[in-house]
Amino acid sequence: MASAFRWSKPLLGDVLVILVGLIFVTCLFKALWHNEHAAKLQIRLGDKIYATYSLDQNRNIDIQGPIGITRIVIANGKARFASSPCPNQYCVHQGWLSHKGQAAICLPNQVSLELLGGEKPFDSLNY
Amino acid sequence: MTQPSKNKSIEIQTTSDDHRIAKLAAFAIGLHLIEAVLPSPLPGVKPGLANIVTLFVLYRFDFATVAWVSLLRVFASSLLLGNFLSPTFALSLSGALLSLAVLFFAQYLPRRYFSAVTLSVLAAFAHMAGQLLVVRVWLIPQSGVAYLIPIFMAAALVFGVANGLLTNYLLRINQAKLDEDKG
Amino acid sequence: MRFLVLLFVLILSACGKEPLVQTKSYVFGTLVDISIYGETEDKAREVTSHILQDFQRLHHQYHAWQSDSELSKLNQTFAAGKRPVEISPELAQMLMQAQVLSKKSQGLFNPAIGSLIGAWGFQRDEFTPIEINDLAIQKLVQLNPQMSDIVIKGNTAFSKNPAVKLDLGGYAKGYALDLALVELQKKGVKNALVNIGGNIIALGQHGDKPWRVGIQHPRQPKPMATLDLPSGWAIGTSGDYQRYFEKDGKRYCHIIDPRSGYPAQSTQAVTVLIPPSPQAGVLSDVASKPIFLSAPDQRANAAKAMGVEHYLVVDAEGKVMLSASMNQRVHWLAKPATIVMQ
Repeated sequence: MASAFRWSKPLLGDVLVILVGLIFVTCLFKALWHNEHAAKLQIRLGDKIYATYSLDQNRNIDIQGPIGITRIVIANGKARFASSPCPNQYCVHQGWLSHKGQAAICLPNQVSLELLGGEKPFDSLNY
Repeated sequence: MTQPSKNKSIEIQTTSDDHRIAKLAAFAIGLHLIEAVLPSPLPGVKPGLANIVTLFVLYRFDFATVAWVSLLRVFASSLLLGNFLSPTFALSLSGALLSLAVLFFAQYLPRRYFSAVTLSVLAAFAHMAGQLLVVRVWLIPQSGVAYLIPIFMAAALVFGVANGLLTNYLLRINQAKLDEDKG
Repeated sequence: MRFLVLLFVLILSACGKEPLVQTKSYVFGTLVDISIYGETEDKAREVTSHILQDFQRLHHQYHAWQSDSELSKLNQTFAAGKRPVEISPELAQMLMQAQVLSKKSQGLFNPAIGSLIGAWGFQRDEFTPIEINDLAIQKLVQLNPQMSDIVIKGNTAFSKNPAVKLDLGGYAKGYALDLALVELQKKGVKNALVNIGGNIIALGQHGDKPWRVGIQHPRQPKPMATLDLPSGWAIGTSGDYQRYFEKDGKRYCHIIDPRSGYPAQSTQAVTVLIPPSPQAGVLSDVASKPIFLSAPDQRANAAKAMGVEHYLVVDAEGKVMLSASMNQRVHWLAKPATIVMQ
């Protein structure tokens, strides 16, 4: 009876699986997280690109979505959902986005933000 | 959770299966609902406590029961939460289906080396992958969510291990009780 | 358990980002941009810093207007008379290569006109308008400094003409590219792209795609086209937009016609694409100049004389002319209004 309340000792296979899982997650972080600052903000409404803005400006953008007006703010090279008509407010809680590849989504109002780098269609410039 | 053996009779064998599934599904639904109302720092990051029930069922019963319990949980929870056939439901369903698929194969791993922790981690990764797949191909078909994938997967690993340990613990208690009942 | 941790660390070190290491630096008074693909970051950084040290050395040794450089000392002895002076084997080789190319270009590529370049104020780190002294320029042209005036014997050199004043500004970057390519190959690097002030040489490719370079639009702050630079190929552009000053509404660029002594006015930019050869880098730097300085109807001949098959010209009106082989390689980002095939 007493033995039943002890945590079971981890098995070899479990340890292996956890280690592989850790490697997998670390690789994901390494591969998908850039520390580059973003240059542009791409806003999507539904399945279309609504607009792309440079982050080198301070401005508010109001977008009419299916359930109301979402306000997006660009300031000091960052962007965020400032207000949203959605019930859960997940998008607003995501806060400021500043790095290339970061994204925030408001599913109810079908608005999504994605930060893009200053991507070039070439490796180096001849001048 | 154990069936008092004196209630067992041949005539109601099939309904007993049904009852058992309903009872286990009710547990899973309960956990699912608790999680749904708990605040989450990021939509999609949840402990997945219902998976404990799934794993427990896999060890104590069979894969068919697991599938029933799992799918009943997804459908019933979404009906109760009022998001049936909504994106949230699609996320939940694809996660459950992929994690079932993984468990189907993982159940044959040698028990000597692999406990519920392994199954839980694999199921959690599969669950997350299923959800991300729906997000990618249906909800927001651009690469934007890529940034969040590492966070989701890290959460899946942490909760997967935690749920696995909890399942091991519950299985031990349950085993002790079964032994007691027998003895 | 120890074994598992070791395995974990090993696998972890194997995974990671796309193995591109890019370093930007400032040498030759311009931007140097070295990209290395497919090597570990440590190795890429080591090779890059080695190459940059080489570049620094070239920059100081062959600086045209720092009086303590080897080149400046040579210029001083040239000016003093016909006494042969010892020079480094490297400089001797560079001068001989420049002599051959100068001859090929019928004197349009002429690194001996340092005095003219100085008179136009381009031997400085910044380009502010100067007082144009027509008489002085005329005089400098009449003195007729030529590469052929330089006599190289073994490791000594002298000039038959005291007016010869070397300025390797249109050659040294190309030479550095060739040097960098040799250095990269010696260190076993398979894929790299080296850009010195717009002159680029490629080695290998960028992952599964060739290295791709953009060609700057001469009048707009963006590239006008891109093209793939296969392994060993080099590209170079001479433009009136890189180093110039404006005076009384007129643009005076740093590419000076040795025949007249005045900056070229009939061209905005010339881009040449050079196939692999031990002097691909040098050619990418040198070969665009004769085309740039040629009259519109002489450009094709100048290209031919320099052995250049792939070239692109943007003339004074912004009209684009390019060879058929070049046309097959460029992808326009902003298609120019007029394209003339040559």
